[in-house]
Amino acid sequence: MVAVPSRVQSDPRSDLVEIDRVSIAFPRSRGRGTVVAVQDVSVSIRRGEKFVILGPSGCGKSTLLTAIGGFIPVTSGEIRVHGKPVKAPTMNRVLVFQDFGQLLPWRTVLGNIEWAVARRWPRYSSAECKARSMQYVELVGLGPQAEQYPNTLSGGQKQRCAIARAFAVEPEILLMDEPFGALDAINRERMQFELNRVWAAESERVTIAFVTHDVNEAVHLGHRVMVMSRGPGRLRALVDNPSVGRPPHDGAALKLVDELRELLKDPS
Amino acid sequence: MTSIDIPEAPSRRSALLGQLLGAGALKKAIVLVLLCVAWEATVRLLHVNKLLFPPLSDVAVRLARGLGLGAGASGELWGYIWETLSVILQSFAISIVIAIVVTGLAVSNRWMREVLSVMTGIFQPLPSIALLPMAILWFGFSRDSLVFVVVMAMTWPIASSLTVGFATISPTLLRLGRNYELGRFSMMTQILLPAALPMMISGLRVGWGFGWRTVVAAELVFGATGSGGGIGWYINNSRLFMNISDGFAGILLVIIVGLLTESLFRLIQYFTTHKWGTESF
Ligand SMILES: Nc1ncnc2c1ncn2[C@@H]1O[C@H](COP(=O)(O)OP(=O)(O)OP(=O)(O)O)[C@@H](O)[C@H]1O
Ligand SMILES: [Mg+2]
Repeated sequence: MVAVPSRVQSDPRSDLVEIDRVSIAFPRSRGRGTVVAVQDVSVSIRRGEKFVILGPSGCGKSTLLTAIGGFIPVTSGEIRVHGKPVKAPTMNRVLVFQDFGQLLPWRTVLGNIEWAVARRWPRYSSAECKARSMQYVELVGLGPQAEQYPNTLSGGQKQRCAIARAFAVEPEILLMDEPFGALDAINRERMQFELNRVWAAESERVTIAFVTHDVNEAVHLGHRVMVMSRGPGRLRALVDNPSVGRPPHDGAALKLVDELRELLKDPS
Repeated sequence: MTSIDIPEAPSRRSALLGQLLGAGALKKAIVLVLLCVAWEATVRLLHVNKLLFPPLSDVAVRLARGLGLGAGASGELWGYIWETLSVILQSFAISIVIAIVVTGLAVSNRWMREVLSVMTGIFQPLPSIALLPMAILWFGFSRDSLVFVVVMAMTWPIASSLTVGFATISPTLLRLGRNYELGRFSMMTQILLPAALPMMISGLRVGWGFGWRTVVAAELVFGATGSGGGIGWYINNSRLFMNISDGFAGILLVIIVGLLTESLFRLIQYFTTHKWGTESF
């Protein structure tokens, strides 16, 4: 292994999600044996931070994120939230999936968000639901599409709708799997800006775990960046990012971008 | 989907009409008119015995009178058709409930899945009219016998397309449901059923078609024994009393009702799966 730039000091009091020697394997499709997707990863996500998981395609980022959400079991080790092992998904940890099929096709953009809001706060009147949902529809710039069905949206619009839905239910932990992957450069920057803004507006109460393979995005968004390497998915480095939220041409930020790029390239 | 047939974005109204009538409506109408003319002309020009094969005009008059159109018309057909419809509607409701419950169980239980798959395999190829003699033995010459065979005709196609519908639901939607903490029942009503609706509609359509054929056939058998009272019974009676025009009118009515229900299914599709872009055929 290369010298790991581990400039991170651990503070157990602020750890919200503890990933403790976690390995995740899938059964192979035919015959016996397993595919190891995540191997022996230990890391903690702190309360109120934006934590980025960075790595090449197929290195197990989605697998790890889904396991934090409680959707799939870990093969060994343990994931704890608030010190309790994760067993099943809850509305406190909302996952924005990587694929476009996560909207309910039989509900409009607004309807999808209203559905989630009504699940989260069953006592809300339908007017309250609608008002709150509309606010988030506007936030992601889907106002003109509010009454459209998902099949009439572009890939990026669908993803923005899913993001709005996740924000609207105010989860304690937001798990986002390459949410901006399908967006054009302008919308991508805008959503990154919005993500930083919403996180700040929630008086930094929401904790975000964000998967990406874009180094610039990682540096723009993450207080800390966890780099994973392939074959099989291991924790390669954990990097503190003091230049979070700075403009992309900032000197320190660029230096970190280069550093991370090297980490991703290096095959060891 | 017939997107190839539509050269430019159609207006909303013509889109609805197109959905109701299916593709090539104008050509179909022309063919239909030609068929009618051919029927009338053949019978009249070849001097076919009217007692055996009446001209279309006679049949049309009988049909109109049977439906209560024109002076001194009886309107008796309404009663017969309603009798048949009430049997099939009741059976339809029963079949849907059975199919949903059975496939719902099959989704969550491995053994139920096998039971369902074997049952569907056995009963789907069996023309359920073949069960009528047993049904008569068990339930007598009653409405229950009819309902029994019709339910047997409808349940299996509905259940099997529902199974396919459930099996092809995207895993992401199921995860979404888990994320928002849906229980078993809400998962069914809020994710599984709407997601399976395209397959469900086609299952209901096929099921209804089977049921419609079965109920008319069963009534014909009943008619031979002198009880019953649906449209099939009416058709059979027309033979007994040598009112063959009435028989043809009954047959036309059976066809018309079949076409109308088909349009109804298209209409349901237009306002649901067509709008959502999840239409399966
Ligand atoms: N359900 C599954 N069954 C078997 N193997 C799987 C399954 N899900 C993922 N894998 C394997 O686990 C590995 C990691 O997959 P994962 O989806 O976590 O990658 P990723 O880092 O998210 O990649 P990408 O950036 O392309 O989304 C891959 O090799 C993949 O083939
Ligand atoms: Mg992934």
